[in-house]
Amino acid sequence: MVTSIAAPLEPTIVSGLRRKGAKLQGDTLVSLVRIAGVLLLAGAALGGCCKAPCAPVKGATSDDPGSRVPGAIVVDFKDGTTKAEFDAWEKEWGIDLEFNSIEGPQDGVTIAVGVQDVEAVLAKIRRHPAVEAAEPLKKYQKTFIPNDPQFGKQWNLRQIHMPEAWELSRGKGVVVAVLDTGIAYADYQDFRQVPDLKGIKFVKGYNFVNDDEHPNDDHGHGTHVAGTIAQATNNNEGVAGIAFEAALMPLKVLDESGMGVSADIADAIRFAADHGANVINMSLGGGGYSRVIENAIAYARRKGVTVVAAAGNTGLGQVAYPAAYEGVIAVSAVGPSGKRAPYSSFGKQLDIAAPGGDKRAGPEGGILQNTIDGRNRGESLYKSLEGTSMATAHVSGVAALLYARGARSPSEVEKALFDGASPVNGQEWSEEYGHGLLNAEQSLNLLGRDASGTNWPPLFLAAGLLVLVLLTLLPRRRPGYLNVLMSPAFFIPLVLATVGVFFARWAFGGAQGVAAQMVDYASLPIPDWQRFLFGRGRLANPLFYSALIPLAGSAFAIALKRLHHVVAGLAMGFAGFLLYAAWSRAPGLAFLPFNFLALPWLIANSIICLFIARAMLDKEVGR
Amino acid sequence: MKLSGRVSFREMEGGVWVLEGDDGRTYQIAGGDGRLRKSGQRIEVEGEVDSAALTLAMVGPVLKVKRYRPL
Repeated sequence: MVTSIAAPLEPTIVSGLRRKGAKLQGDTLVSLVRIAGVLLLAGAALGGCCKAPCAPVKGATSDDPGSRVPGAIVVDFKDGTTKAEFDAWEKEWGIDLEFNSIEGPQDGVTIAVGVQDVEAVLAKIRRHPAVEAAEPLKKYQKTFIPNDPQFGKQWNLRQIHMPEAWELSRGKGVVVAVLDTGIAYADYQDFRQVPDLKGIKFVKGYNFVNDDEHPNDDHGHGTHVAGTIAQATNNNEGVAGIAFEAALMPLKVLDESGMGVSADIADAIRFAADHGANVINMSLGGGGYSRVIENAIAYARRKGVTVVAAAGNTGLGQVAYPAAYEGVIAVSAVGPSGKRAPYSSFGKQLDIAAPGGDKRAGPEGGILQNTIDGRNRGESLYKSLEGTSMATAHVSGVAALLYARGARSPSEVEKALFDGASPVNGQEWSEEYGHGLLNAEQSLNLLGRDASGTNWPPLFLAAGLLVLVLLTLLPRRRPGYLNVLMSPAFFIPLVLATVGVFFARWAFGGAQGVAAQMVDYASLPIPDWQRFLFGRGRLANPLFYSALIPLAGSAFAIALKRLHHVVAGLAMGFAGFLLYAAWSRAPGLAFLPFNFLALPWLIANSIICLFIARAMLDKEVGR
Repeated sequence: MKLSGRVSFREMEGGVWVLEGDDGRTYQIAGGDGRLRKSGQRIEVEGEVDSAALTLAMVGPVLKVKRYRPL
């Protein structure tokens, strides 16, 4: 499972905070500037831990050959319609249309960008008598259809939009470690390389089961998983794989009966991290909680490695270890219909769903790759398998594509994977599908945009917080009210409620055991302390994401006047946090899984928080 | 320890034999001979449960069969 952490902040913020502790008697303007600066930085911190799509562009449907350009529409007027005419009409629609090209005055084709509610605007436009057609603007993406003869059977690769994704990335320069039964990667003694891995790059691996340097496969599972990640593709042979220009690192941790021990797996994770792997694929699970494996995973993550693991095949609502550890992407399996396969485990640590196959209707519902016959080593065959192992390999493959396209950290990879995933049943997150169904094309596109675009969201957020503060305070023109904001009693709860003790991990990152857990919780904003009670599920408890805590604080403050500053800061922080959660659609709320319920809840509660803050400061300043 | 239940073959991950235990849990069968592996057969097993093993089948704890008898 993966939970995002607050981004480390620049030292300027810490010194900025220290300044807040000093007595400030500067004039109003100076105070204002300081508030603006600190809020800006607090906003940047919050933006860094944005879990939800910062741009709510999701899932072009699969029957759609082109994908929609966000906020853009095309309107075809009757031939000969003039600019003056549609300039007059567009005011009513609230958009700005322009001719698409010099052909415009003849063919009447116009476009508009920056449209807020595309569907509503289109419905209005279509009613106009001069409009022949109005629709979302589509981008026609080139696709790459490999010549592998059995590619037509790979429904799974179309399901995750690989033909479009291969135009953007093929995994060049990335290393994926496969912790499994080995890979049929080379000829050695009785072992043979399977033909459809010919031409794939391999980096030095290790056999932790027999303690030698020959991690050849004596089972078949590992070779199949490796095939999904990087089968030789467009080679006129067999089937395709996702990141076929990436390199594979074979690490044998499971014996010929498909079993392994925690020590070998922990060692293999560290080996991969130390030998340049970018992604670790663990299509294995069970054995319960192991501190040794958990530490190895934390080590790999610190070295910038994305770790992916299978949710398990019990069909029950409990994610298996190692997928359930913090910092691991937990993957469930779907069949060709996109529904969770009945064997797939699920649960509160689940992160994403991917094709794992469903063979109830026949082998064509499984995942087809080149592997070996476990009972006859060396014998190559194309085999259809189902399992969360297969699903995991898809996510690892796409993670490799993301690294090749410029992702620099596991957090960036996860953000692109989760934001790019196609939501299932309209839910932002669910125990069965996590953030939704893997979508390679969408994830790669989101990554590209994040890398090149301006980091506006945190700036918007900071500006929003500033406006909140000013709107709450400016109407009461009493001397000294801004200095109230600079007092630690106000400011510390504000920071705690919005970004938590954001520097805790940075300052105490090496802590162990209970201390480490304390650091983890301290670095969460107050509303996320609900995880302490309810675990690290994907859905937040709506009582914590509400005005309840500031409200309880204000009850105490009636008796204790000294608490007014504290409660005001807390309430202001909550207001900012809840509005941010509403704006970023993150995370989903338990019991209110749908946006149409969660959004009004968050907004109404942040307004209550603002009233509390205002009332508290009113009393304080009034005396 | 002794366990009784129904032997069953599951398709996933290339195929795995399990014991659907009368205790309500599912065990991955390790060891035993070919005659044990008959889908639908009810058996009583004497063996050891290895809850620490990690597996590619991921269906439940591993049951290492020492002896068994059909019921």
